[in-house]
Parts: sequence; C-alpha cells; structure tokens
Amino acid sequence: MAKRSLLTRRDFIKAAGVGAVAMGVAPTIFLPRQAHGASKELKILVWSHFVPRFDKEWYDGYVQKWGEANDVKVTVDHINLAEIPSRTAAEVAAGQGHDLIEWIAPPSQFEPSVLDLGDVVKEAEKRYGKQHPLCRGSSYNPNTKKFYSFCPGWTIDPGCYRKSLWEKAGKGSGPETWEDLITYGGKIKKDQGIQLGIGLSQELDSNMASRGLLWSYDSSIQDAEENVVLNNPKTIEAVSYMARLFKESMVPEVFAWTAVSNNQALIAGRASYILNSISAYRSAQQQVPEIAKDIYFTPALRGPRGTRFNSEHVIYCYVVPKYSKNVDSAKKFLLDLVGNYDQAMYKSELYNSPAFFDTPIPSGDRGYPAVKGAKKLIDLHNAWFSDDPFALPGEEKGKLAVLKDAEKWSANIGHPGPANPAEGEVFATFILPNMMANSARGMAPQTAVEQAELLTKTIFAKWRQKGLVGGKT
Amino acid sequence: MRGPSVSNPAADSARGGILDREGALAKLMIAPAILYIVAMIGVPFVLAVLYSLSDATTGDPSIKLVGLRNFAAALADPVFRLSLWNTVFFTLASQCIVVLLSRLLATALLKTFRGKWLVRFLIMLPWTAPISLGTIGWLWMLDSIFSPIDWVLRYVGLLGVPGALLGGGTNLYYLGIPGLAISSIILVDVWRILPLATVIQLAGLSSIPKDLLEAAEVDGASPWRRTLMITIPLTLPITSIAFLFGVVFTFTDLVVVYVLTRGGPVHTTQVLSSWTFFKGIEGGDLAQGAAISLFMFPVLAAVAILILRMARRTEVV
Repeated sequence: MAKRSLLTRRDFIKAAGVGAVAMGVAPTIFLPRQAHGASKELKILVWSHFVPRFDKEWYDGYVQKWGEANDVKVTVDHINLAEIPSRTAAEVAAGQGHDLIEWIAPPSQFEPSVLDLGDVVKEAEKRYGKQHPLCRGSSYNPNTKKFYSFCPGWTIDPGCYRKSLWEKAGKGSGPETWEDLITYGGKIKKDQGIQLGIGLSQELDSNMASRGLLWSYDSSIQDAEENVVLNNPKTIEAVSYMARLFKESMVPEVFAWTAVSNNQALIAGRASYILNSISAYRSAQQQVPEIAKDIYFTPALRGPRGTRFNSEHVIYCYVVPKYSKNVDSAKKFLLDLVGNYDQAMYKSELYNSPAFFDTPIPSGDRGYPAVKGAKKLIDLHNAWFSDDPFALPGEEKGKLAVLKDAEKWSANIGHPGPANPAEGEVFATFILPNMMANSARGMAPQTAVEQAELLTKTIFAKWRQKGLVGGKT
Repeated sequence: MRGPSVSNPAADSARGGILDREGALAKLMIAPAILYIVAMIGVPFVLAVLYSLSDATTGDPSIKLVGLRNFAAALADPVFRLSLWNTVFFTLASQCIVVLLSRLLATALLKTFRGKWLVRFLIMLPWTAPISLGTIGWLWMLDSIFSPIDWVLRYVGLLGVPGALLGGGTNLYYLGIPGLAISSIILVDVWRILPLATVIQLAGLSSIPKDLLEAAEVDGASPWRRTLMITIPLTLPITSIAFLFGVVFTFTDLVVVYVLTRGGPVHTTQVLSSWTFFKGIEGGDLAQGAAISLFMFPVLAAVAILILRMARRTEVV
C-alpha cells in the first residue's frame, strides 16, 4: 500500500487559505481599537520646510496644540515639495485624502476641485487687516471670482552677493541694476575667477529669476487682463541682455542649475551673486560662517528704465479639496494660523513673511525674545530685518535691512495679472528659463522669444477654453 | 487504538470539490495574477486612453470626450517631437552598448579567476540598488561644482590648468552642456541595465553544449570562427531578449532623466516619460499628458510581442 504523504495538495491549500484569512482578520480581533479622544478630525499635507527646525520645533507642535485646544485630532504629513502636484492630483482623482493641502506655488489648476475660500479671506481681513496683493494675486481668480486657495504667507527672493568680491571690483555696496551684473560681475569673473549664479535651467529658481528679469525690463508673459504679451521689444531686450550676462559673467553650470545649486555655489565660495531666498545664507551661517559673514543682500535689481521686481520665492497656498468632510475645522485652522504667524516668521528664521502684516501679536510668551513696542507683525518684520536675531556673533548688524520693503519690489507669478493655470503650465514646462537659455546658447533673441510665445499662446488658449483664464486668444 | 488513515478517493473527491479538479484549480490559482494585471495595468491603460481623448485636467479629472485633439496638439509641439526622438535615440544607443558590454562581461565571467565572486557582486550591485538612489549618486558624480570625476581630472592635470587636454575651466559641466548631458543619460542607462543583460547573456553562454565547441576546436576552427558560427547564432535569441528587456526598461524610464537633468538643458534630454510628467502632472494638463504617454504604447507592444516570440525560440533551442 502506498504510504500517504503527510501533507496533500488539498491540505496545503486549505491551510494556506485559513492562514490568509486569519492574517487578514487577526488585526481587527487582536489589535486594540484606536482611541478617539477628539470628536473631529483634520488631515494636513504640507511640504518639508527648507528650514528643518520650522517643522520640528514649531509647526508640528503648534498643530498638535491647536488640535487639543479645538478638540480636533490633527494629522500632519510632510512631503518633498516636488511631490506636491502629483500627490494632490492623486487625492483629487481618488476623491479622498487630506483636508488641507499646502502648496508653495499657486495651485490655480485645481480650482474646479477645491472649495472657494473667499469667506476665510473675508474673515481674515476682518480680524487681521488687508492681505498683501501678491498673496491675493496667488490665490484668487478674478474671472470666476473664486479664492481657490488661502495664502497666509510668502518668502522674499532677494539677491545675495559676496561683499569682499564686489569690493575688489569697485562696487562694495553690491549690484543695483541688472547691468551691474555684467559690469562688475564680469570683472569679478575675469579677475577673481568667481562667476555669477543665476539659473537658466528647467527648475524652480531659474523660473523665478527669468520672471524677475522680464518684469524689470518692463515686460511680462501676460498683461493685467491675462492677454499674452510676451513677444515685444522689451522682452527681446531682456533676452539679449541674458545672452550678454551669460557670456560675461557665468559658466555652463547655470544650464544644469537645480533647487540646491544656489546654496551649494554660495557656500562653496563659487558664486559672487545669486538670486535666492535667505535660506542659502542661513545654511552658510551653519556650515561656513566665514562665508556667511561675507554675504550681503540686495533688493530686486533695476532694469534699464528703473523698474525693479523679483518674484516671490515661495508662496504658501492652502487648498481645501471638495471631498473634505472637515471643512469647518480646516477653515478655523487657517484663520488661527494667520493669528500665530509671528511664530512662523521667527521659527523659520525669517524665511516666512506674513500675508497679513497688520495681524496683532498675541500676548504672553510667544517662544521668542519680546520685541519692544511691537504690536503687529509689520513691527516684528521691521525689527527683525533691522537687527537679525539669528546673526552670528560678530556679524555686521542690519545686513537684512534691505528686505524690509520687499513687498514693494516683490510680485506674484502672473504679474501684472493674477496667477492662473496657464501661467502655472508655462512655469511647469520651463518656457521662460528656456527662452533665456536659448539666447544664452546662441539663438537669435527674436527667435527665442517667438518660440516661447508660440508655446505660451497655445497653453493660454487651452486654459481659456476651460473658463479659468481671462483675456483674448 | 486507531490505525493509519486510508485514502478514499471517492469520498475525498466529494469532500474536496474544486481542489481535485485540475482545470478549475488552475484557473483559481491563476486568477489572482490575472486580477492583479487587470487592476494594475488594464484599468490604468483604459483610463489613460479615455483621458487622452478627453479634456481632463489634474484639477478636474472628469472625462468629457474631445476626440483626437490631444494627439494633434502633441504632434504639433516641438518639445514632444524632440522627446520622441530622444526616447528612441537614448534607448537604442544605450542598449547597443549594453549588449556589447554584457557579452564581454559574460564571456569573462565564464572563465575561472581569483576574486570572481567579487566581480560578479560588483556587476550586480547597480541592479540591486533602487534606481532613484543610484541616479542621485550619479547626480553627485556629475555635479557642476563637486564632481569627483572633475577632481580626479584636475588632479592628473587633464583639466583646470592652461593648455590642459580637457580645457582650463575648473569643471566640465556634464549636465549643463547638451552633448555631455545626453552622454551622461546614456551612460547611466547603460550602468543601470548592464547587470541584467550580463546575467541573461551568462545564462545563454552557459547553455551552449561544450561538445559542440570542442568539436569545432578539434576541426581547427579559430576562436573568432567559433564565435561567429556557433556562439553568436546559438545565443542570438537570448541576446535579443536581453536587448528587448533593456529597451522596455529604458524606453519607459522617468527617473534617470528626472533626477539628472529634468529634461534640460533646454529640453535636449527630454524624453516621453518625463515630458508626460511635466505636461500632465506638474502642468496640470492630464489629457495631454495621457496622449503623450500613449505614444509609447505601439513600441512597447511590438517589443513585448518580440520578447514572447524570442522566448519561445529560446525554449526550442
């Protein structure tokens, strides 16, 4: 008689089936149910801040305290800034996810899927005064009269220069005009072997820089009514300038520029001037103090007719997707965030600037040395930029003072019009930095502008059909 | 005391039901795989086709059909045309190099030598590391300021001094000059696929009957002639499989371009997958992104059919 095997195929399958079912069911039987202390819930998705202590030492703790005070169970997820668009798209497509999603660029293309936050803006202005125009321009669609996001803050984008290098070139106060970058920046490159670092690449900072240059040359992608006006003599003038600037003052590294190149180049002592937020300077303070002490700042540089604008470096825009079941909590969170923005400014080491400058400073211990006489955020803004609380010992006072009036020379993406999905797609497909780079690589400026205009007009026409962009085709 | 149990086929059959019916059991066992393929490949593919025929955006993914408008727009876009060309060029260039190098490596690995395990380990290493991690490593190697390759070149005097062979500049800017950026992408593609191709080639070479090669040697055939007349013909099907697998991996890859150049400088390294991402996700035009991605489908379908045919031929061999 054949000996029966210990385990037949049928036995094996049965055992495996039982095992699988048991594994699936076990957690629900054996694991303790999650305690629900709070009656409401709020899920927030935010970027991982460039200043790490902002998240660790303030934001995450603030959110939890806010949740406890408001009887809301709050969850915060941090993701890399590059993942925000795809993550938002996935959550919108799935119809579920976070109740609040923070963008660092205007999320205008998501207007059909997010709530109108006009009531939050109205209430915020009632409590905290007028919202800064560039924040409004980054969150409001004048065609649909809808606030597709709520903007509590932004980041200034000044120029950063190495004073010792510029002193040797005869301009110790740093560049004041774009032309100075050629005159003195070129001299520094030639005599001292240090180039300028203004990106001409397919990334964020290059996009900002090319917009700043275009605006300072009195041109833009669109006008205030969202008509495409890119192809004009002033754009060609700006593009021609960039070709000269590259030839005289830069090297091909700018075509491979990335979001960290500004910091790297400045810290490595390989850039005489960059266009960036103060994060590069803050990194230098920690890593190479001797270079940090040599870094000074300029406001937006003036173009040939005296105009000067830089793009905001980061614009914080929160959206509430339509699928959210916790809308009231989300709106309250946003309003309270504005009310506590003094802490956001300080804990970001002045990287964050407020959208509501007239917000009163709450009383009590705010987690930073009290500023005498300060009643509103504008007072803190002026005091801290006049006397940087994060300056190194022995570092010159008042280096950041030029940032005090940054709101006058900073503009939103889309300037002089609003941010919109067409401007967003032009940004995401790098049309402006490539227009500049084409010219720097030898293409005739007129041709570079015509190519950019063709791509831009196609994008604007498409979004206009959807009713999200104004102007005429 | 109970004796050993005795099998009763009739009773077992009645009790076992589907477990004893080979045909039904086979279907049951294969069902999860089919379900997985339908859910993970079939549904997204159908969705991509629908999106490509619609005006969907990331902010409004509802599907309103607009015909072939997105395909026409893609074809009219010069960046798309360049991306299409780059995708084909990067794939063919890298895979030709991969086939050549993998054959050389596989031939070398057939020999016995000291430290062979270490060589095998090093060859396999790029395949075991996540692509994104490996590519970030290359990003550092090719950095405009901190590139260790440039450091070595400067150290040996080939770069950074007047009259140096590679120029007097401090760096070569691998990712900032179009020709070097394209070469860098191809280099990293080769680095990534080479281990897989080498293993496949090694399997092919090992399967050649030794007596055939020995008989040819006895008959006076030179090594070159043995390679041309025996090794290459017998390993051609499996070499083709290595090539086609490499084509699929490279043709659809987003990571290498996204991490190294983001398609720059000025789109000179843009490929279909990266352009799909920038246009469809970052730019918000989901429909246009879907249309661009679908241009990959005919090539991938043809390659898949070829792989299956080759696999069948390999079985015959």
